[in-house]
Amino acid sequence: MKRRVLTVSFGLLVLVLGLRLWPQISPPLKLFPVRTPEEIIASLRGLAAQNPQLARVLTLGQSYGQREIVVLELAAKSQASSLPPELRPAVLVSANLEGLHFLGTEAACRLAKRLIDGYGREKAISEILNKRTIYIAPLLNPDAYSAWLGKWKWERMTNSRPVDEDNDGEADEDGPDDLNGDGFITMMRVKDPEGSYIPDPKEPRLLRLADPKKGEKGIYKLYSEGLDNDGDGEINEDPAGGVELNGNLPHDFEYFAKNCGPWPVSEPESQALLKFLSEHRHIALVLNFSTENTILNLQQTGQARAGADRVRIPRMYASMLGLDPDQDYTLKEIVEAMRGLGVGAGMEITEEMVASFLGLGPAVALDRLDLPLFEAIQKEYKEALNKAGLDYPERRAKPVQKGSWVAYAYFQYGVPVFSTDIWNVPEPKKPAEKETLTPEKLKAMSSEEFIALGEEKIAAFLKAHGAPPNFSAASLLEMVKSGKVTPARMAEMLEKMPARPPAGDEEHPDTYLLSWSDTVLGGKGFINWTPYKHPTLGEVEIGGFIPGLKLIPPAELAEKAINTHVDIYLRLIERVAEIQIQEVKAKPLGEGVYEISAYLTNPGWFPTSTAQGRRAMTSWPIRIKLNLDKEQNLFSGRPVVNIPFLNGSGEVKKVTWTVMAKKGSKISVEATSPKLGKATASIILP
Amino acid sequence: MNLQKVSIDQYGKRSQEMKETFLGRDSQVRREKRASGVESMLRAMFLGENMGGRISSRQLKKSQPPGLRSYRYRRQAIALASLVAFLLLSSFWSKSWSQPTAEVKMSFDHFYNHAELTKALQTLAQTYPQFMTLKSIGKSYRGKDIWGVILTNPKTGPAERKPGYYIDGNIHGNEIQGTEVALYVIWYLLTNYGRNELATRLLDERSFYIIPTVNPDSRDVYINQVSDPDSPRSGLMPYDDDRDGMADEDGPEDLDGDGSITMMRKKVPLGTGTHKLHPDDARILVPIKPGEKGDYILLGEEGIDNDNDGMINEDGPGGYDMNRNFGFNWQPEYVQRGAGDYPFCFPETAAIRDFLLAHPNIAGAQSFHNYGGMILRGPGAKNMGEYLPADRQVYDYVGKNGEKILPGYRYIVVYKDMYTVYGGTIDFVYYALGAFTFSNELDQDPLEAQRPRREREEETVDIRAMLGQQGRLEEMEYHDLVLLGEHFSPWKPYKHPLYGEVEIGGVKKFGRRVPPTFRLAETCHRNAAFCLYHADQLARLEITKAEVKKLGSRQYQIDLTIANSRVTPTMAAVAIQNKLHRPDEVRVEGEKIKLIAAGYLTDEFRGLTQPIKIRQNKVPVENGVPGFGRVNLRLLLEGSGQVKVVFDSLKGGFKSRSITLD
Repeated sequence: MKRRVLTVSFGLLVLVLGLRLWPQISPPLKLFPVRTPEEIIASLRGLAAQNPQLARVLTLGQSYGQREIVVLELAAKSQASSLPPELRPAVLVSANLEGLHFLGTEAACRLAKRLIDGYGREKAISEILNKRTIYIAPLLNPDAYSAWLGKWKWERMTNSRPVDEDNDGEADEDGPDDLNGDGFITMMRVKDPEGSYIPDPKEPRLLRLADPKKGEKGIYKLYSEGLDNDGDGEINEDPAGGVELNGNLPHDFEYFAKNCGPWPVSEPESQALLKFLSEHRHIALVLNFSTENTILNLQQTGQARAGADRVRIPRMYASMLGLDPDQDYTLKEIVEAMRGLGVGAGMEITEEMVASFLGLGPAVALDRLDLPLFEAIQKEYKEALNKAGLDYPERRAKPVQKGSWVAYAYFQYGVPVFSTDIWNVPEPKKPAEKETLTPEKLKAMSSEEFIALGEEKIAAFLKAHGAPPNFSAASLLEMVKSGKVTPARMAEMLEKMPARPPAGDEEHPDTYLLSWSDTVLGGKGFINWTPYKHPTLGEVEIGGFIPGLKLIPPAELAEKAINTHVDIYLRLIERVAEIQIQEVKAKPLGEGVYEISAYLTNPGWFPTSTAQGRRAMTSWPIRIKLNLDKEQNLFSGRPVVNIPFLNGSGEVKKVTWTVMAKKGSKISVEATSPKLGKATASIILP
Repeated sequence: MNLQKVSIDQYGKRSQEMKETFLGRDSQVRREKRASGVESMLRAMFLGENMGGRISSRQLKKSQPPGLRSYRYRRQAIALASLVAFLLLSSFWSKSWSQPTAEVKMSFDHFYNHAELTKALQTLAQTYPQFMTLKSIGKSYRGKDIWGVILTNPKTGPAERKPGYYIDGNIHGNEIQGTEVALYVIWYLLTNYGRNELATRLLDERSFYIIPTVNPDSRDVYINQVSDPDSPRSGLMPYDDDRDGMADEDGPEDLDGDGSITMMRKKVPLGTGTHKLHPDDARILVPIKPGEKGDYILLGEEGIDNDNDGMINEDGPGGYDMNRNFGFNWQPEYVQRGAGDYPFCFPETAAIRDFLLAHPNIAGAQSFHNYGGMILRGPGAKNMGEYLPADRQVYDYVGKNGEKILPGYRYIVVYKDMYTVYGGTIDFVYYALGAFTFSNELDQDPLEAQRPRREREEETVDIRAMLGQQGRLEEMEYHDLVLLGEHFSPWKPYKHPLYGEVEIGGVKKFGRRVPPTFRLAETCHRNAAFCLYHADQLARLEITKAEVKKLGSRQYQIDLTIANSRVTPTMAAVAIQNKLHRPDEVRVEGEKIKLIAAGYLTDEFRGLTQPIKIRQNKVPVENGVPGFGRVNLRLLLEGSGQVKVVFDSLKGGFKSRSITLD
C-alpha cells in the first residue's frame, strides 16, 4: 500500500517536473478564439445601446450572402462638440475585407471599446470624440468569415457569389471535401508517374518541385483535399464562393482574373464600402487591418511608368501649340504653351485638364511629397513594436495587393492610409552570431582554438563555404594537429576559392512554418501524411499545414499584439489635421482703410491633404471667406481665397485683404474644408 | 413623312446605287466630334468655336420664354394629337383583329421628350404585344423610368435562345437624336413584320434589347428647358465641380430669356481686347493676330456669379459623364474626367449594367451619340492594347459596310482616331460581355458634309483654319439661308450685374449637334438600317450535316457540322481568350442514349479527330463557331431509338436535330 502510494507520488513528481521542464507541451495550448459575426455585431449594438451619447450602429450594406455589414459611428454629442458627426473631420477604421483576418476584426472592436471606455477618463480620447467622428467597420467580408466557421476549415477569402471558375456553365459544383474527417482541408499527395514533387531532402514532411538539373525526378502529384464532385476529371476546380473583395477595388485592378471579380467594384460589399466613402467625404484618415502591412512594406503594385511627368504631344495638337511632337514636355510647359496661344478665352487651363485630355494614366507610386509621412510613421511603428516586445518578422510584411482597398484609399480617395496585419508567424531563432565561424574569425584563431571547435562546427563551416569534398573536417583537423597548416593559412585559401552556392541546401520556404508548428503549437499546425483510399485517385496520403496557421496565433500572443496595435492606431488618430485661425489682425492704412490678415494654421501632425489627394482631386483646398457687412467694402483681395494645403505641426499661412470699413465695426473670417471642419475668428477694427 | 421602305431584294441594288452616288464624297473632312467635358473644352478652344467658360454640362431651371414655347408647343400639340388619334385607332384595331397588321404612325421630324417617348412606347407595346415587351429597367436620379424594350417573335423560340442585339441612346443628355433612332428601329421592325423580309427574319431569328434613352432627366431638361447645344451632357445628380464643398450652386442663366444658353461678349477700348469683329459679319468674333488690336473680349456662357466666389458658371447641374463610368478600363476622376467615384455608381449606368447582364445572349450592340458622322469601335484607350485580330476582322467587315449605309460617316477607332475614353460603354460591352459593339456619332456637321474631300494629312491645316475662324461665315450663311435664322440668337445688348454693358447671343441649343428636324428622318432610317445590318450579321447557325454510321450493335458514330453563314462568330476571340462566358455546347438527349466520346473532325478523309473532354452527354465547343465558318464534330454514341442533337450557344442561338438510331 505504502509502496504503491510512494510509486504514485513519485510518478506525480515526475509528471510535475516534466511539466516544468517542457512548458511548451504541458499547458493545453489556447489559440486565439474566433467569435461569430453575430457575436461581433451584437457586441457593437450593445456598446451603442449603453452609450447612446457616443455611439450609433449604422448599416454599411449587405454582403452577397445577405449578411449585414455594420459600421459603428463614434462621436460625442456633448456641449464641447456642437458640430454634427457628419461635419466633423473623421477617421475610418476598417478591418477584414479579406474575411479571414480575425485579429483585425477583434482589434477594431477593441479600439471601439477603448474609445468608449476612455471617454471622460482619458483626456486624449475625450478630445478625439469631442472633435471628430470615428467610424469603425470591423468586419467587411462576413461571407468569407462565416465560411470559416463552417463544418470544416479552409482558407476561403471569397464572398458567396457563385462563380463558374472552370467555365463549364455551372457554378460552385466542385469544392474541397474533408475526406479524413479531421475538420481541416489540407493536401493530398499521390504517387504518379507524371508527378513533379519530391519530399524536401532536409525536411521530408514538406514537398517541393523536383529539379531535373540536379538529377531529381518527381514522385508525387499534389491536390487539395477533396473529390471530383462533378465527374469532370478535375478535383476542387470550382469551389464555393466567388470574389476576393480585397482585389475588387479600382486601383490597379486585375482584369480577367476571376477571383478579383469581373470588373472593379462588382461586388455588393465593395460597393457598400465605396458608397459609404462617397457619402462621407469628411473622412481624413483610414486605418485598416488586413494581412497587408503597409506601414512596414511601402512597395506598390503598379509598374513604374517611365516619364509619367513628361509627356509627348500627339502630332496634330503639337503643331497647333507650336511644340515639337518628338520632344517630351512637362504638363506645366504644355499649359504655358496653351496660355501663350490665348486658347481658352479667359478660362483657366489646369494641368489636370491637359493630363486628362492626353490620356495619361494613374499614379502608381507613393507621391514623393507624401513619402516622408509614411517613413516617419514606419520608424515610430518599429519602435513601438520593439518597445512592446513583439517579435514581428519584418521581411514577411506583405505589401498592398492589386485592387486593394488600401491602395484605393490612398490613390483615389486621397487620404493617408495605414494597414497592419497585427501578427505574423515569427522566424525561428537562428543560432547566435558569435557561434558561427567566419573566415575573419578563422584568421585570428590559434591552432588550439580551431581544434577546440570540434568536427561538427568545422564541417558546417566548410559546407557553408562550398569547400570541395576532399576538404573534410576530419582531415583538416589532422592537418592542423600535425601543424601542416594554420587556421590563418586556411582562411587565405578559402578566400581564394571561387565562391560557390551550397548545393541542394536551400531551405524550403515553409520551414519556418513547420518550425513554428513544432516548437510552439506542439506539432498541431501540421497534419502528418496519412494514407487514404480516394475513390478516383486510389491510394493517396492526406496531410500538410492546417488552414489558418498564419492567421491564428496562441491567444496570449494575440492579446499582446492586438493591444499594442490599438494603442498605435489611437496615437495616429490623435494626429489628424485640423484647421485653426490663429489670429486675425487689422492694420489701419488710413482713415477707414484696413489691411486685414488672417493667420491659418494646422496644429495636427498630418498635412491638411496628401499630395496624392490633391493630384486625385479628392481633397479640398481650405476655403477662407471674408465676411463683410453692407457698409464694409473689399478694396483688394478676393472674397473667397483657397489655400491648397497646410503642412502639419503648426505650419502657418497668411491671407490678406484690404477693406474699407468703419472703425469699431466687426469683420469675421471663416475657414472651411470638408475633411477639416470649420474655424471662425473675428476682429473689431481698431 | 414619306419613309423609305426598302425590301431586301431592292436592298442590294440600293446599296450599289448609294455607293455610286456617294463614294465620291463619302469621306469628307472629319469634323471633330465636339463633346462636353475636357475633350470638348480643349477641342472647342483649339477649334476656336463658341469659346467660353463651359466647364461641364449644365442646364437652367428657368422656364422657356413664351415665344419659343408656343412654337414648340404647337409642334408638340400636333404630334400629340396624331398620337392620341392613333392610340384610339390602334385600340380599335387590336380589338378587331387578333393579329393587328396596322401601322402605328409615328413622326420622325420631332424630338420626343420623356413623356412623349413613354406614350409612344406604350402605344407600340399595346399594339404589338406578340412581339414587344416594355419594362422599366430602373429609375433615373430624378425618378424617371428608364425604358427597356425587348423585341422578338416568341413563336420561333424564346428570346434568350436567339442572338441578341442591344441598342442604347442618349446616355449624354444633350445627344438626343439617338433616342429617335432607337424608337425608329422598334417602330420599323414592328410595323414591317410580314412585309419586309429582313424585318420579318430579324424578329424571328434575333432578340432586340433597346434602351431608347439612358438619361431621361437631362433629355427633358435639354428639350423642355433652357440649355445649350452641349449640355446637360451629365446626369443630374448634384456634383461639386469646383470643389468648394457645395454642389451645383453656380450654373448659367438664360439672361436674355431666349430659351437657350448662349454666349456673352463685351466691347472694350481698342487695344485692350483679345478679339475683333469679323470684317464681313459682325456676328462673328475673330481672335487677334500678333500686332493687331482687339476691341472685344469673350466672357463665356450667359450667367452670373450665383455664389459670390468671384467665378461665373463654375458649378452647374451635374458634372459627370456616364459614358466614362463603365466597368472596363475604368479610371478615376483625375485620369478620366467625369468617371464618378467607382464603376456603375450612377443609377442610370447601374440599370444598364443589370439589363445587359440579365440578357447574356446579347452578341452585338450599338450605343448612339452625337455628332460628327462616325461609326466608332473601341478600344477607347491604348493602355489595354488593341482588340484581338480575329475580332477586328469582324468589326472591319461590319464597319466598312456601315460606311456604305451611312454616306459620309467614317468607320474609325476611338483611341486612335478620336480621343482617349476610359470606362466607356462600348469597351465594357465588348471586353466584359464579349459582344461586338459600335458607337455611332450621329449626324455630320452640315457644313462639313458640303465640303470637298481633303486628305488626312491636311487635317492639321484644316483645324488651324478653323482656329482662325475661317468657315464661320459659311456657318452664318447656313443659319440665315437654310435654318432661316431659327437657331441663332442675334447679339443683343444686356446690362450684366458684374460686367456692365455686354452683348448676348450665339448659336441656340438646337443649332448644332442635333439635325434640323427636316433631316431627322434620314438620320433615323440610315442608322436603323445599319443596326439591322449588324443584327443580321450576328451568328446565324445551321446544322448542315448530321450523318449517322452504325459501328456496332448499339454503337453509332454521328458526324455533325454546324455552319455559320454570317461574319460574327458565336464566341468573340476576347471571350474565348478570357473565358468571359461559358463555351458553346453540343448535347445529345434521349432515353438510353450515352455519349462515349467526342472530337473535332479535323480531317474527314483520314478520319482524324482531336479529342474533346466530354461531361456526361455534353461536348463543350470551346472556340465556338467562327464567322463564315463551320465546326465539324464526330460523336460516338451508345444506345438506340430517338436522339436529339442540340447545339446550344450562349450568343449564337440554339439549333437542334432529331435523329433515329437503328
